[in-house]
Amino acid sequence: MEQRLANTWRMTVNEKKFIESALLSGLRVDGRNVYDYRKLSINFGKEDGSAEVHLGQTRVMGFVTSQLVQPYRDRPNEGSLSIFTEFSPMADPSFEPGRPGEFAVELGRVIDRGLRESRAVDTESLCILAGKLVWAIRIDIHILDNGGNLVDAANVAALAALLTFRRPECSLGGENGQEVIVHPPEAREPLPLIIHHLPIAVTFAFFSDESTLVVDPTHQEEAVMAGRMTATLNTNGDICAIQKAGGEGVPQSVIMHCLRIAATKAADITVKIRDTVEAYNTERALRKIKRHSAPVALDVSGTGPNVRKNQVKSQDQRKVSGSVGSQVDKLKPSNERNDSDQSNDIEGILTRGVLTRIS
Amino acid sequence: MKAGKLRFSKPNKYWVESSQKRYVPRVDDTVLGIVVDTKADNFLVDIKGPALAFLPVLAFEGGTRRNRPKFEQGTLLYARVAKANPGTNPELSCTDASGKAAEFGPLKDGYSFECSTGLSRMLLSSPTCPVLEEFGKKLSFEIAVGLNGRVWVNAASPSTIIVVSNAIMKSESLSGVQQRIMVQKLLDRIQ
Repeated sequence: MEQRLANTWRMTVNEKKFIESALLSGLRVDGRNVYDYRKLSINFGKEDGSAEVHLGQTRVMGFVTSQLVQPYRDRPNEGSLSIFTEFSPMADPSFEPGRPGEFAVELGRVIDRGLRESRAVDTESLCILAGKLVWAIRIDIHILDNGGNLVDAANVAALAALLTFRRPECSLGGENGQEVIVHPPEAREPLPLIIHHLPIAVTFAFFSDESTLVVDPTHQEEAVMAGRMTATLNTNGDICAIQKAGGEGVPQSVIMHCLRIAATKAADITVKIRDTVEAYNTERALRKIKRHSAPVALDVSGTGPNVRKNQVKSQDQRKVSGSVGSQVDKLKPSNERNDSDQSNDIEGILTRGVLTRIS
Repeated sequence: MKAGKLRFSKPNKYWVESSQKRYVPRVDDTVLGIVVDTKADNFLVDIKGPALAFLPVLAFEGGTRRNRPKFEQGTLLYARVAKANPGTNPELSCTDASGKAAEFGPLKDGYSFECSTGLSRMLLSSPTCPVLEEFGKKLSFEIAVGLNGRVWVNAASPSTIIVVSNAIMKSESLSGVQQRIMVQKLLDRIQ
């Protein structure tokens, strides 16, 4: 008890008064402008579907997994999406381990509403066998460090994880086409989810003086604020969700103003997410190609016996991985050990590989 | 033994300087505490240590039972650690050894933030830390540094307070020259 008293984070009266009075002149304590976001950076983990987002000092990790389950009875040909939040006690001294608190549930609900109600994730493509087997997508959000504005950071983490997640490919087989064969990732390339649009959450904090509001509040600003509103919208101009749970009353004109600001912020964040995901996808594809071609890229400066070894190796590759193996075959004739040539070849294979997959 | 930088001063003094977010109370340290609660005989003050500290109601200059100071929750105090033993709550005092006030007591207005113990030691070192020296040449502000990792900054305009606070927070890992360059850049930007 004593320990907990000593460890709680406290704010001085000086801090509170200063944050509010500085905001009256449009100054924020960390030097930002009133409508500025903190630096957003997205990193991906080794597995598909794991993303870590840093928004200033706030750190959130999103992790997506999938499982084959029976569908809900009233939606027999749709998969399902569920979000779980975990507020780690290392993020903030007020987070307790065990049951999620009120704020944790609210955060999960806001992200869930943004994705589900707006139908951002296509659930009908997750159906394998109508009425029997569908994919259930599970998003786990772990809060690692609470620097303020967890909702926005968690939303970006969930979206980044969803965009980079790959689910195993399945095909129907068996006598009457009722058996489902799930192909391991080494046999068939896993598939990405179909995501129609990106709902971005933008959080505003209101203060006791009516005209002051800020975007992306920090931990200190959240302790001082009088009310908060989160608007989730996408770049198509749709408002996917709005959450204003309690706090000070706000006039309608201010809400409209916030939505206009949120639209510009959502556009910036969407561009940022898409760029990082694209960079990750390119790097991932290159990684996959390199893995297959590694045994072939032996000491190619040599002569006959080496080339024959390559031939045997590539034959094996062909048995293991259908389309990629045939591309590897084409690598054989290049006897130059020139790095740039090799990378050009790899890029060529990459485009060819992509084309075969689409066809 | 905590990890840290090995320091040397001639002719034969070596020591290890560590920097933590938590503070271990030591007698005669000057700290910045936040009032958490008021009890009959003392105030409970948070000094970022393992336990809350007691500040006796009489430990002020000219303090008697008649004129007890009244501090609301969240008041920032500049105090001295009078007693500190492991396992017990430390005791503070708002007077120096001879009983005079000597700048101890509550701090009004301004802005306070937390930092590591290493940074507060650097800010208090003499000769003056480069960040504070460079700012002092162009801006006027007052500052109180607690060895427990809390700093209070006050100035006439909020923008000065914000610039100084953020510069201090960023200066822990910078060398003297880097600190001066950073301060120059910030000053050019606001003028």
